[in-house]
Amino acid sequence: MTKIVRAGFTFAKNCKNAVISTSVRAISITKQLNLKELREHTEGTTLVVEGVTVPSPRTALLVRAENLSGYVPPESSEKKPCYMCALGLDVKHTDVLILSQFVRSDGCMLPRRITGLCSRQQKKIGKLVTMAQKAGLMINLTPSYCHKDPKKRRDYKKFNTYFDEKTIFWWRIPKPTDKFKR
Amino acid sequence: MSAVKRAQQWATFARTWHIFDCKWQDPYESANVIKKYLMGLHKPIYHPMNDCGDVVVCINSREIALRGDEWRQRAYFHHTGYPGGATWTLAWELHNKDPTMIIKKAVYRAMKGNLQRRHTMERLFIYPGEVIPEEVKQNITNQIRQIRLVPTRLDHIPEEEVQKYPKVMDYPEDYVLK
Repeated sequence: MTKIVRAGFTFAKNCKNAVISTSVRAISITKQLNLKELREHTEGTTLVVEGVTVPSPRTALLVRAENLSGYVPPESSEKKPCYMCALGLDVKHTDVLILSQFVRSDGCMLPRRITGLCSRQQKKIGKLVTMAQKAGLMINLTPSYCHKDPKKRRDYKKFNTYFDEKTIFWWRIPKPTDKFKR
Repeated sequence: MSAVKRAQQWATFARTWHIFDCKWQDPYESANVIKKYLMGLHKPIYHPMNDCGDVVVCINSREIALRGDEWRQRAYFHHTGYPGGATWTLAWELHNKDPTMIIKKAVYRAMKGNLQRRHTMERLFIYPGEVIPEEVKQNITNQIRQIRLVPTRLDHIPEEEVQKYPKVMDYPEDYVLK
């Protein structure tokens, strides 16, 4: 049984006596071992949904700090930094080519168990993604019901907004009136 | 006076026309830059009693960008002078009514309140779109550099360029593609 599942889980069901709805797709008996893509096709009256193992399209283009030329490995006593901390990139919310790697196709931030970031970087990237979405820079990565064009948004949302990355880790953003308080 | 000196004299005191593209620019940051050109502060011959300010033409003022939640936080106060005549207009409401007003008020407030300010403001032209009258356009000889980079939307970048861009995040081995 386990062997069959590892090869890629396949289950067939009759369309007439459909018990499981097609929207429920997360079916696996054992832990999935490889990057998988769900494909479904019909053979006569039978709907076949199978998880096909596919190679990751990103592996060839991957940038890691340890592969770069001027890399200094951290001392063994220190905790190993996550890959974004090690790279030390100054990511802005306008860098949509980087931020779009951390989101699903509907624009949601991926959880930490998938991104593999440290908690601080996960929080930072998550907020940068929110900023980019609010500024209307990643509108092709949105749910289908979303207004794609920022100009079609209501009230104050239809005008251009930019964000300051310094505000991400501030406990409280000071207001201009704060300087008058004692 | 030689011909060279006469031309130098003429070039020193002539008014230069500058253009500034307000697309995705913060009006309150860019007002500090526009102010310098309007008052002539960028010239070595500047003196408050010296009428050496230039002309600035602002285009695309409809496309300005405010920071964070300032569209709904910033209010513009007006009082008619009658009792109960005070109004507070939010920035997005003002921008709906007149897309040139926010940048105009920003430049006006960036300058010191003296008798010269109203005359200096006469040298500022603001247009909501890219269309400028021809008689204004033919005078322009210089462009003021934008402060902020205009961001590129992801759907405006070609698909193959997105695919070829270096990646920092790779999916874990047991991830189901969506």
